Amino acid sequence: MSENNLHNEQKLLNLLEKKFILKGGSVRRERRVEVKVEPKEIVPVLLYAKENSGYTAFTHMSCVDWIEDGEFEVVYILWHPEEKINFFVKTRVSRDNGTLPNIDFIWRQANTYEREIREMFGIQFEGLVGREEFILEDWEHMPPMRRDFDTAKFVEKTYFYRPGREDAKDVREYVQERTDEELPDFAKKYSRD
Amino acid sequence: MYNDKESQKIVDIIQNYARKHSLFILAYGTGCGAIEIPPTMTSRYDAERFGIRGAATPRQADVLLITGYLATKSLKRVIKVYEQMQDPKYVIGFGSCTINGGMYWDSYNTINVLDKYIPVDVNINGCMPRPEAVIAGFVKLQKQIQEGKADGWDKYKKNLDYYKENQKKIITNWVMPDFNW
Repeated sequence: MSENNLHNEQKLLNLLEKKFILKGGSVRRERRVEVKVEPKEIVPVLLYAKENSGYTAFTHMSCVDWIEDGEFEVVYILWHPEEKINFFVKTRVSRDNGTLPNIDFIWRQANTYEREIREMFGIQFEGLVGREEFILEDWEHMPPMRRDFDTAKFVEKTYFYRPGREDAKDVREYVQERTDEELPDFAKKYSRD
Repeated sequence: MYNDKESQKIVDIIQNYARKHSLFILAYGTGCGAIEIPPTMTSRYDAERFGIRGAATPRQADVLLITGYLATKSLKRVIKVYEQMQDPKYVIGFGSCTINGGMYWDSYNTINVLDKYIPVDVNINGCMPRPEAVIAGFVKLQKQIQEGKADGWDKYKKNLDYYKENQKKIITNWVMPDFNW
């Protein structure tokens, strides 16, 4: 792939680098641009991408739990309908009491994603409207998508177990046995045994 | 005349014969197994030749099919529906999820063993069971009905405390009426 093909991608990155303070940015490949920003820069960057650069479609918003760094990474994914480019905006917040700006005044559908992230990870969004309870009903434990939520232990405690499934083990242990690969420390810490 | 034991036996045989040939399934799909019901019902496998067909409301239905995994959220609805159904009623656990949790055995929001919450008459194994397996399960249920052994509804009434205790262990915010027959 020649450099010229990435012209549109590079143009967006150059514009953003001039306008905002980015923590990092790169053209990952054709049709994929990625920038990393501070939480307070989220709204300006997204607004700029929507109003000035033509990234009008809000495709998705997801969350990654980086328990080793004590941070959540929230990823906003935008789409340019004409140039057909995916634009990833990544930001990181603290795992405990992390707060992000609410963006549902830019795209209304972001409200749904934000409510899901609030319920599944426990990140708060400033001024987010909508019931605290979204999908889970009467949930009174730790947000279940956090990596330190031990599902196997929870299931053992809550549900019944029919004998005959004793072979069910953590997949990572099988991988270790087969490939002699060392488990990383965080995986050992949150391993099921 | 009907108090006579011998004639009651004959009445039972006729009753059971009628029951087993008119099994109305409640149109309530949980999990992914519900997608196997349309081919079972329609012309390819044609379950209606066994007297199996759909019913619109719980009060008209005889059979409750739990098709696949059951989230704790829908367990609440299933219990509500099951208690509204008229006696005699039968439950078929469909797929491995209702037997031991299947591939969702370590999920935080799906139950593993359905038999602990509502009495199950027939379990159909498989992930997913093919329509042939579904029909085989129904035929087994019909056999049980003819022999008078499909008495899950009776078990539920007699062991209500046991079932309620298990149900309330999961459904912490119990806002439904407590049935007692």
